[in-house]
Amino acid sequence: MSLLAVSNLTKNYRRTGKPVAAVDDVSFTIEPGETLALAGPSGSGKSTIARLVLRLIEPDAGRIEFEGSDFLALRGVALRARRARLQMVFQDPLAAFNPRATVARVLDDPLRVHGIAPRTERPRRIAALLERVGLAVDLAPRAIHEISGGQRQRVAIARAIATKPSLIVLDEAVSALDVSVRGQILDLLLDLQRRERIAFLFISHDLGVVRAVAHRVILLDAGRIAESGDARTVIDLPQSAVGKALVAAAPRLNRYRP
Amino acid sequence: MTVLASIRDLAVTHRRDGIEVAALKNVTLDVQAGERLAIIGESGSGKSTLALAIAGLLPKSARIGGSIEWFAPPLGGRDIGFVFQDPSASLDPVMSVSKQIAEVVHTHLGLGWPASRAKARTLLERVRLPDPDSALHAFPHQLSGGQKQRVAIAAAIAAGPKLLIADEATSALDTIVQAEIVALIRRLVTEDGMTLLFISHDIALAAELAERIAVFRHGALVELGTTRQIIDAPSQAYTRTLLDAHIGLDADLLLNRSGLPA
Repeated sequence: MSLLAVSNLTKNYRRTGKPVAAVDDVSFTIEPGETLALAGPSGSGKSTIARLVLRLIEPDAGRIEFEGSDFLALRGVALRARRARLQMVFQDPLAAFNPRATVARVLDDPLRVHGIAPRTERPRRIAALLERVGLAVDLAPRAIHEISGGQRQRVAIARAIATKPSLIVLDEAVSALDVSVRGQILDLLLDLQRRERIAFLFISHDLGVVRAVAHRVILLDAGRIAESGDARTVIDLPQSAVGKALVAAAPRLNRYRP
Repeated sequence: MTVLASIRDLAVTHRRDGIEVAALKNVTLDVQAGERLAIIGESGSGKSTLALAIAGLLPKSARIGGSIEWFAPPLGGRDIGFVFQDPSASLDPVMSVSKQIAEVVHTHLGLGWPASRAKARTLLERVRLPDPDSALHAFPHQLSGGQKQRVAIAAAIAAGPKLLIADEATSALDTIVQAEIVALIRRLVTEDGMTLLFISHDIALAAELAERIAVFRHGALVELGTTRQIIDAPSQAYTRTLLDAHIGLDADLLLNRSGLPA
């Protein structure tokens, strides 16, 4: 049984009166411990799919099965409990967090809200989470706005893993980072996946990164799946028009050579 | 070759919370007339500060040391075109596309409004905006990110500048639109014989467009050379680090595919 099974997912937006399909009849599965990448141009529907899977917005049609249950039918306590298993990391952690909160507060929230650890035990848990993502424990009292972008994204990852999820949605999670930091964050994510069998829905516009980290990829165009398959196979020899356009447009270090 | 701008020991410091922060440290660099020069670096490298300093756009509170000697002293806005990362922030949200471009023409070339508006239409064609006639009457929010950046470029080149500065002008765009805008910048610079200063965090993108690359880190110039020298034979370890960190379509896989779920 797949960890996540999305079938016939559809989401329409109204723009100046007429409905536009942001996501149009999209189906896919993710297995435990697997990275599935969603790639495509702006407006192709990749972030809308992420928001649908997280139930930040509701679809117009389709099914989402997560860990064997009908995820769209869950309400109240059952939904909250299941949400602990499905976490997210966005592009800009400064926008995702209260900037004046401390690192400790950001990590305390999920432990408290999901009843994972009693108050007395939480400082120890927070220290362990910081250590797990490669941050010094003495970062805990610092404010989110004081630490570097790379440190902040590590905190976002620590918060995501605090509830022991089986799936993390990574929406352009490394896109805003400096290249020297990006490699370290990707290494951390892959290490977490290897050790804890966490699956990733990895959303990125960067085909080089997708090819390097994903097992499978779905290329989206105008809300529909244009092409999908093994990440390296698809990116090395794209068949769809959008796949060819994305590959041709990717910057190459050696293109200047005659 | 003529030197357009001779930058000598340029140092810029900002005061932040009562502390002096050095944004640029003794940068010496010649910008050749007609060249495409990329300035690359990570956040905090000083690359944008250098762009603002050259354009004369640093805030009054900045302390500036050293000098920038010009072959012919430029008039900002006319002789230097500037394209920023976020066209939504650089375009006036309540001014039509026609007016924003025509205003530059009217101000700097002294043409009347009808002639300025006609020139705006020609410029929209030059930046290959689809359907220029209806775009003239559009407001920025009615355009896509790529279209807005085309309008910002049209406004930047409207007065016929000698130097075009593009500061992360494609960083907020998706890969396909980025490639289109890079191709557009290259074409415009070539057609008008402009000098291009291309500021980017992306060394591969810089290599595709620039003839020379200057690598910045922590406010200092680390290395300057032809694109070939920088990419194929960098002399500094930091440049090597940046090249190694690039994850291209031919990069080694980070993912160990053994143990892949069936």
